[in-house]
Amino acid sequence: MNFSNVSTICPYCGCGCGMILQTIDQEIINTLPSKSNPINEGKLCIKGWNVHDFVVSSQRATQPLIRKDGDLKEVSWNEVLEYVAKELMRIKDQYGPDSIAFMSSAKCTNEENFLFQKLARAVVGTNNVDHCARL
Amino acid sequence: MSEKIAKHVSELLKQGKIEAFIGLKEQQGSKHIIPHIYTDGDNLDGFYTGFNEGADAKRYPLVKTLFHISKRYPEARLGILARGCDERGLKELYKWNQLNTEQVVTVGLACSKELAEFCECYKPYPDEFVEGEKVPGVDSERVKKVSALEEPERLKFWLDKFSRCIKCYGCRNICPMCFCKECSLEEMEFIETGKIPPENPIFHLTRAVHMAGRCIDCGLCEEACPVDIPLRILYKKVNNIIMDHYSYRPGFGEEKSPLNILGSRPDENNS
Amino acid sequence: MAGLAAAFGSGAMTNSIAELEDTKCIFIIGSNTSEAHPLIATRILRAKEKGAKLIVADPRKIQIASYADCHVQQRLGSDVALINGMMNIILKEGWEDKEFISERTEGIDALREMVEKFTPEKVEAISGVKEQDLRKIAELYAKSEVSSIVYAMGITQHISGVDNVKSLANLAMMCGNMGKEGGGVNPLRGQNNVQGACDMGALPNVFPGYQKVGDEKVTEKFEKDWNVKLSRKPGLTITDMFPAIEEGRLKALYVLAENPMLSDPDLKHVKKALSALDLLIVQDLFLTETAQLAQVYLPGVSFAEKDGTFVNTERRVQRIRKVIEPLGESRSDLKIIQELSAKMGYPMEYEDPSQVQEEIARLTPSYGGITYSRIENDGLQWPCPNEDHPGTVYLHKDKFTRGLGLFHAVDYVPPDELPDEEYPLALTTGRIFAHFHTGTMTRKSSALNKEVEKGFLEINPKDANKLGILGGEKVKAISRRGEISIEVLLTERMDEGVVFLPFHFAESAANVITNPAFDPVAKIPEYKVCAVRIEKIDEKKEG
Ligand code: SF4
Ligand code: SF4
Ligand code: SF4
Repeated sequence: MNFSNVSTICPYCGCGCGMILQTIDQEIINTLPSKSNPINEGKLCIKGWNVHDFVVSSQRATQPLIRKDGDLKEVSWNEVLEYVAKELMRIKDQYGPDSIAFMSSAKCTNEENFLFQKLARAVVGTNNVDHCARL
Repeated sequence: MSEKIAKHVSELLKQGKIEAFIGLKEQQGSKHIIPHIYTDGDNLDGFYTGFNEGADAKRYPLVKTLFHISKRYPEARLGILARGCDERGLKELYKWNQLNTEQVVTVGLACSKELAEFCECYKPYPDEFVEGEKVPGVDSERVKKVSALEEPERLKFWLDKFSRCIKCYGCRNICPMCFCKECSLEEMEFIETGKIPPENPIFHLTRAVHMAGRCIDCGLCEEACPVDIPLRILYKKVNNIIMDHYSYRPGFGEEKSPLNILGSRPDENNS
Repeated sequence: MAGLAAAFGSGAMTNSIAELEDTKCIFIIGSNTSEAHPLIATRILRAKEKGAKLIVADPRKIQIASYADCHVQQRLGSDVALINGMMNIILKEGWEDKEFISERTEGIDALREMVEKFTPEKVEAISGVKEQDLRKIAELYAKSEVSSIVYAMGITQHISGVDNVKSLANLAMMCGNMGKEGGGVNPLRGQNNVQGACDMGALPNVFPGYQKVGDEKVTEKFEKDWNVKLSRKPGLTITDMFPAIEEGRLKALYVLAENPMLSDPDLKHVKKALSALDLLIVQDLFLTETAQLAQVYLPGVSFAEKDGTFVNTERRVQRIRKVIEPLGESRSDLKIIQELSAKMGYPMEYEDPSQVQEEIARLTPSYGGITYSRIENDGLQWPCPNEDHPGTVYLHKDKFTRGLGLFHAVDYVPPDELPDEEYPLALTTGRIFAHFHTGTMTRKSSALNKEVEKGFLEINPKDANKLGILGGEKVKAISRRGEISIEVLLTERMDEGVVFLPFHFAESAANVITNPAFDPVAKIPEYKVCAVRIEKIDEKKEG
């Protein structure tokens, strides 16, 4: 028996409601609104209430994939990261850093966005980094 | 603040009388009070004991959490922090064969006068309790006030409130008494999906009728409503009608609701 | 964002969500608050109960409009005219805050000259809003003790998006509704961490904290901390990326948890561009429409499988916490980026996200005082420059970020595409309550799918009647760019001549037909207006 109640923030709109995800044996079974979060004070909308539904969706794709002979094939993490690193370096050397662009995400955390733009700016050497929220 | 409950729970766990205790926890280094499941009698870190300070913000659907756990672990003995409403909820779940009495050990908590008045609760204490003092039940002034409205005004009052509904289903999701597999709020023949507000007043009346003889007046639905619809007034009113006509109050006694027309099978598993 | 930054010096929501509850007047424009930001609508309804006035300007009869003291249904894309019209009346009547204008702002004269042209007659001709209504909303807004403006994508997703926002800033400053509790100009961010993505410099022209790329001092600070030489040349915006791919200047694209195949304004075009890349890397949770075109797919994790922070629309930095271990082979996005970076010869060493936050605080003045231990409770609202700073509830208190607030004389520009004989209906897009964004998350939820399973097109019953269309009938919606087939929903919510399409559904993707023309400054496409024609589907032909 393993349970947890973890307080976190809704991944949908910009309200930023506080929620508690309840798990049994590593499976999220329920969402509750956080009563002490200053924004939502114990309430959620329909999307928030159903958060636990998408995390465990059977449609999650959890294997690294590389396209080989036209199809996406499962590969190991090491292979995929080696491949991406090599390809990015090749394109950078051949066409310059500004031939590579990064599309960041308003769904990702601050820390991820920070590292992603650092990857673009410090490692690849381009300011071609934007996020989809303009759209 | 008292440690009585914490001590009691610790002993229950250590003596193996329960395998897990469903209570509240003060999140580390923070003021957030969240539900928590304790499994180790020697480790009650953050065990929340300020139950009777202030009226709101600290009640969560613990009974529903217990219900979820019992579905996975039907053999496990589970302890639960139980106020008057929680106990009423448990009793109803026993009656409806949703939960086995043997499985549950309640650790009772009597509510403060302040909370009882906030809830307008008719029995703000469980039958037995470890902590708190018995304060008298409170009649609902809110129900009286709304009932006193003349017909057209009353209709207007409710239609107006219901028109704000954003169909979050929070009132149902949080309700310890909502355990139906097929929820009538999702019957598309009754209630058209995909638009807000939902059909007014059908959506709300459907739920009110369905809660008649079931609602144990915990008020969690109203606290969860993002548009502040005074749902508790509605369900209290429904309870009063059932009381007046059938002398029946959900959460009391052993009998099932008089509205249980069809009856249910003892092996029925409705989750 | 660009509009507010130009006027005030900062593009963020000026005030806070909870403040709305106690303000005296709320002006909602271009925000379907109850469906898109329900928990902000909560505060607005409470304000209303407490006696606040409510103004709603929206072409559709949205739910919250039924509580408005005045609801105006301006024509799509006529917002600048509407707001200029309000200011025209305010100045004529002398309802402006003269003291505020003279002490805290500049540029009023040019604005005065501009709004003089926007007489009520002219405004009615452009927007369809009658003089008496215009007068009423101008009065409610200007004469309330303190008024707050709330807007969302209905304002920004236009070719005149930046102008629309500047107009709202003009209005707020003119009435002295800035830098005080319950006032302000409040953009509601559509996604959970748009604010954070912007704050963290996921923008081609700024480093984290809106520090300019190319500013020598800033760039040197980052170079020193990161121990590397940095480019001083601002990069490409997303809208510029696609043409760059077609011109062969852009060879590789790394997409983090986004689905431009659905979110970009011109789907056909995007597909062509993405397919032309040498290397398309997609890091996501699902094999989205975009991921299916990729050379490489990297499985990231959902918010429930990682620690970190999100910033909500009121600048509040809040903690998200790991609930379960990453599913299958998936890995936290931070870890993926770190490992990749190491393989590219630049190791990034952080044990956990709190260490990344330490670096953010070190390099980003407005985040200087934000640490994980301080945000356990309620989070912190930036600017929070140091460890003792309590965070900032509302901006521009005694002084605008840029010093004086700047009025912009903004002229009305019609939408890029208006209905004509061939495409007689105006189409607008938006959200519905049960789904989110491109649906990649919400459409995986059975409960939400049960509520709304597929896309639909809202149309006024009279328009439907003219076309001989019944409710629930499948029709073709055709624009200059493409066509989709979709079921219609007859509703009085829509005015005649206007149809509405939710944008969450891939199989009836709005961006097959929307107009990719975009605002020249913000580069946000005009999702909110285009011209379409509705055709019955010939049943015999279709079988
Ligand atoms: S629960 Fe609803 S209102 Fe709250 S953040 Fe999530 S999507 Fe937004
Ligand atoms: S008060 Fe509301 S939540 Fe509680 S039992 Fe009654 S209906 Fe359910
Ligand atoms: S909680 Fe309130 S808004 Fe949500 S469905 Fe129930 S009545 Fe409607």
